[in-house]
Amino acid sequence: MTTIDDLRQCVIEGEEERTESLVKQAMAEGKPPERILREGLIAAMTEVGRLFEAGEYYVPEMLIAARAMKSGLTLLRPQLAAANVQAVGKVVIGTVQGDLHDIGKNLVGMMLEGAGFEVIDLGTDVSPQKFVEAVQTHHPDLIGCSALLTTTMPKMKVVVEALKEAGLRGQVKVMIGGAPVTEKYGADIGADMYASDAASAATRAKQLLI
Amino acid sequence: MTKREIIRMVLEGKKPPYVPWSCGFTQEAKAKLQAHYGAIELEDALQNHLLKLGSDIGFFTDLGNECFQDVFGVVWDRSIDKDIGTPKEVTLKEPTLKGYVFPDPLDSRFFADIPSKIERYGDRFRVFQIGFSLYERAWTLRGMQNLLMDFYDHPDFVCELLNTIADYNIAQVKEALKYDIDAVYFGDDWGQQRGLQMGPKLWRKFIYPVLKRMYGVVHEGGKYVFIHSCGDVDELFDDLIGIGLNCFNPFQPEVMDVAALMKQYRGRLTFHGGLSTQRTLPYGAVDDVCRETERLLEMGRDGGYIFAPAHDVEGDVLLENMLAFIDVIQHQPSYRNERRQV
Repeated sequence: MTTIDDLRQCVIEGEEERTESLVKQAMAEGKPPERILREGLIAAMTEVGRLFEAGEYYVPEMLIAARAMKSGLTLLRPQLAAANVQAVGKVVIGTVQGDLHDIGKNLVGMMLEGAGFEVIDLGTDVSPQKFVEAVQTHHPDLIGCSALLTTTMPKMKVVVEALKEAGLRGQVKVMIGGAPVTEKYGADIGADMYASDAASAATRAKQLLI
Repeated sequence: MTKREIIRMVLEGKKPPYVPWSCGFTQEAKAKLQAHYGAIELEDALQNHLLKLGSDIGFFTDLGNECFQDVFGVVWDRSIDKDIGTPKEVTLKEPTLKGYVFPDPLDSRFFADIPSKIERYGDRFRVFQIGFSLYERAWTLRGMQNLLMDFYDHPDFVCELLNTIADYNIAQVKEALKYDIDAVYFGDDWGQQRGLQMGPKLWRKFIYPVLKRMYGVVHEGGKYVFIHSCGDVDELFDDLIGIGLNCFNPFQPEVMDVAALMKQYRGRLTFHGGLSTQRTLPYGAVDDVCRETERLLEMGRDGGYIFAPAHDVEGDVLLENMLAFIDVIQHQPSYRNERRQV
């Protein structure tokens, strides 16, 4: 097993401290930061997503794996910047206005980060205007809207309309998800993508940007 | 027959004269219904078969600024969700119970209205409610993400926390058993739209043994056990029946096959709920609501079923849709005959 193989396995198993030491070891061995990122951290989170979709992993396993990945990424970031390694894409995420539920949105953020995206999290109760402003400020490739309730889900449509009104709809893709949200609802409101869970959100977001 | 007897029949797997019901509504939905019924009290208009005693979510102190503190010290932000709210911050910041004092389980407010309610609605089946009865109480104190990681990081703390919550609940159950109640209705959401939040392995390791202890006390007292647990949790039904569960709610049609499950478990587990609150009620027409209600009543005709919307009806549901299912359930011919005889 190489250091990167060990690193990948540690992230999958959520071993935060060992992940940090293996990232340091890989860097000390002179492994390119991009390779540590792609073959170590991102490959690990792809496997975590697969295990989640297969019903072998649940939220706790995903959380500890994401925490390990994040600690490794923090160490790697200066090296990635120095080597001018770009993120797969930039995503702005948030729970829509009137909804304070955050764990689903947080998991999506973690899985997107684990897939190599730069993630800007606007938090919960995010107004359509805030989404618009975030697109103007951060120029993301994608925005992700989350809602847990039938009472707040209609705000997703308002976000899509607000982006159109601001003349930004052509510049950014919109993905949606959350308990009451369906593929059909996404199509009805003109979203680009629906995902039923955090793991598929990361996979589908990548496909959308290809 | 009284409503109480009819619910007992249903729980015992016998065929009732009609399908009983017990429907809940959020404050916003209640306000719409109350405006419609005018002077008639909602409880009287709805004719629910379950009499809810105790408190499902506990008691709160108004801190102002739409913040409310529960008896466990958790502050809830109700600026958006007016019924329950969202915990504002983590109460147990570290994975330890050191320095934290549990509230008094025998707080008289939980039992104060039992005699007067029983006197007024004596014909109904009496359920003593304990909301946030285990995992939910734990995460509201510790934070959901923290608790989910604690399952791996601090398993001994999770066991201690869950067992201390169970001890609190058991003390409350023992007190409630001194009254003429019929069941204890626990509430603890374990599911997501797809699958369990913590997965079956961790559920069986941490949650199951504690539930077994709590349910055991209710059965020792000769009463029935009900649980409300949102989400896709039907993979747990056999485990739950094994430790004495009698009735499961909310029975959400978006996450489980209600028709197949009713058939599969008839005689072993009663279901309470079933009417779609994620789709039909907010987005369907009156005809859709009537059709789905009639289908559920037909499925439940042989027993093992208590009709209800799968969750307290939210404020985005049209009054017409609420009145539609209320009308269908109250117009079951055998219900009207039973009422005439009482």
